[in-house]
Amino acid sequence: MPADRPTDPVGKHAAGANAAAPQGVQGVQLDPVLDALDPDRDRPAHVIETRRLTLHFGSKPILSSIDMAFERGSVTALIGPTGSGKSTFLRTLNRMNDKVRGFRTDGDVVLEGRSIWAPGTDLLELRRRVGMLFQRPNPFPMSIRDNVVAGVRAHRIARGKQLDVVAEQRLREVGLWDAVKDRLGDSPFRLSGGQQQLLCLARALAVGPDVLLLDEPTSSLDPISTEYVEALLRQLAPALTLIVVTHNLAQARRVSRTTMFFYDGRLVEHGPTDALFEHPSDPQTERYVTGRIG
Amino acid sequence: MTTLEGAAGDTPAAPRRFDRARRPPLRRVADVLRSGETHAWRWGARIAVLLPVAGLLFAVTVLALKAYPAIKVNGSPFFTGSGFKIGSTYAVTVHTAGVAHPKGSFYGAWPLIAGTLQTSAIAVVVALPVSVGCAFALTERLPAIVSRPLGFAIELLAGVPSVVLGLWGVLTFGPWLAKTLYPLLANNLPDVPVLDFFKGTVGHGEGLLTGGLVLSLMIVPIITATTADLFRQVPTLPKEGGEALGMTDFEVAQRVTLRWVRSGIIGATALGLGRALGETMAVVLTVGAIFKVAPNVYSPMSTIAAAIATQLDSALTDGTGFAVASYAELALVLAVISVLVNLAARWVVRRTSHLGGPVGRAA
Repeated sequence: MPADRPTDPVGKHAAGANAAAPQGVQGVQLDPVLDALDPDRDRPAHVIETRRLTLHFGSKPILSSIDMAFERGSVTALIGPTGSGKSTFLRTLNRMNDKVRGFRTDGDVVLEGRSIWAPGTDLLELRRRVGMLFQRPNPFPMSIRDNVVAGVRAHRIARGKQLDVVAEQRLREVGLWDAVKDRLGDSPFRLSGGQQQLLCLARALAVGPDVLLLDEPTSSLDPISTEYVEALLRQLAPALTLIVVTHNLAQARRVSRTTMFFYDGRLVEHGPTDALFEHPSDPQTERYVTGRIG
Repeated sequence: MTTLEGAAGDTPAAPRRFDRARRPPLRRVADVLRSGETHAWRWGARIAVLLPVAGLLFAVTVLALKAYPAIKVNGSPFFTGSGFKIGSTYAVTVHTAGVAHPKGSFYGAWPLIAGTLQTSAIAVVVALPVSVGCAFALTERLPAIVSRPLGFAIELLAGVPSVVLGLWGVLTFGPWLAKTLYPLLANNLPDVPVLDFFKGTVGHGEGLLTGGLVLSLMIVPIITATTADLFRQVPTLPKEGGEALGMTDFEVAQRVTLRWVRSGIIGATALGLGRALGETMAVVLTVGAIFKVAPNVYSPMSTIAAAIATQLDSALTDGTGFAVASYAELALVLAVISVLVNLAARWVVRRTSHLGGPVGRAA
């Protein structure tokens, strides 16, 4: 973790409250004093839960009966071959699939005790709380500064001069400030791919999400940018809950605490990342993580 | 020479040259034809490129030469004065600055220039939002089963002859507007100085606003078709990014899709504006024929193109040719306005494109 960046980028947590738990160990009794400092202690331990979630496009089943709970502040990697349904699963969590023709769901997704499809749910607020970073950078056709604050503006979180403050803070968070501070009014399309992706990350962070969904966030980036983004994700973890789809098994091992393995529309296995990679309990998982199927 | 040949012979690895003479005769004919084809293609392309430029230069030159006597005599009052008087063609011919013209002739084109700009402005102001909304509905909202025939219908509208639209405008659309929309506008608008232009006697529906609305109907298909093509080029990913950020559909449309192609839409508007400025037949039929600046949007007036089309006949009765020269000057003014509009659009496009999305390049 580079020392020049703040350890608590989103600023919701007392520094290191959850980070004190060693990676891969769950259910550790935290020191009650530290626990009391945790602003999330009254909230459910699982931010998102899926209950017997089954997805179809038309008559074609995509995923069947997924039961999974995502722990607050954890990083979960979704791995599996192309077409295994992991991206569809991810895009269901912020209801991006809802407008796809023929998309049907059974079961439920529960965000902090409330179904995301419950009547009266504000879709826009859901998407503010569950942010998303895409496979390729997708900046908007506006200045770099306006990109960062686009969501903030839409949700009316800040306005006027505050927007400049938000833009600077978020760009610093992702380590892009020094590179762009002199050209905040320029087009984002002149930035490198890695910088554009960081800009999109800053934009997603700016609306203060609880959960960040990442759909192969580094698949279009060069190795150095990838490494940088990974370091950033590890840093975001205690304050944010991250769910990362990745094709890169090494990345899943480096970044995540929990891993879910999807194969052919089924959640084959899930558990602590190290355990899943070292001692997979399902033969299919073993064949995938050892590179014999893919 | 001998040394050269000797040097070539000394190099055993010299590649064997392509020997045209050793090809079979039919092949040789084909070779000649093929090399000829290349030349024909190249020269054809050069000529094709030059033709439009040459045509434009030729037309403008002829126009300028024809208009020259009128420019000399009419001077600046041509742009500020009001009224087209051929003068007395039976009286003595007088000479001003060496140019012969009938006694009492006067040419002031200000009402026509103003009328051209007014009708075109109304057309664009009405057509632009309609077209952008149309294009957006076609590409983003409606299912293909609806949008395809609808898009086809809109493109068909572009093919309707302007005389047909003009006739419909003056016989049906104008009178209908004069009975329904115009009284509503004229009587109910708030007391804001700018809106005074929309107050006054409504008349029978032959005038500035009717002409502008018919023109807008003519340019809607152009702007819609171009804008729809632009919208189709906007990649999905930024739009999804907006949705995933919790923007409403309208916000995504306004801040992502529309901005992505903003400069292209300005270009499309310039295309429509160009058509509106030069449109003749539909305007002739719907605006009336009064060579005065319209006091309100319901009054009959005229435009440069309409005036040329309707008045050239009587201009030819001027034996000195001065009336024709004046109309040539009028045509030159229209050409200059069109070019200026295009240049202005290009300038705006260049000013706005730097923040637009990378259309046409790999995004």
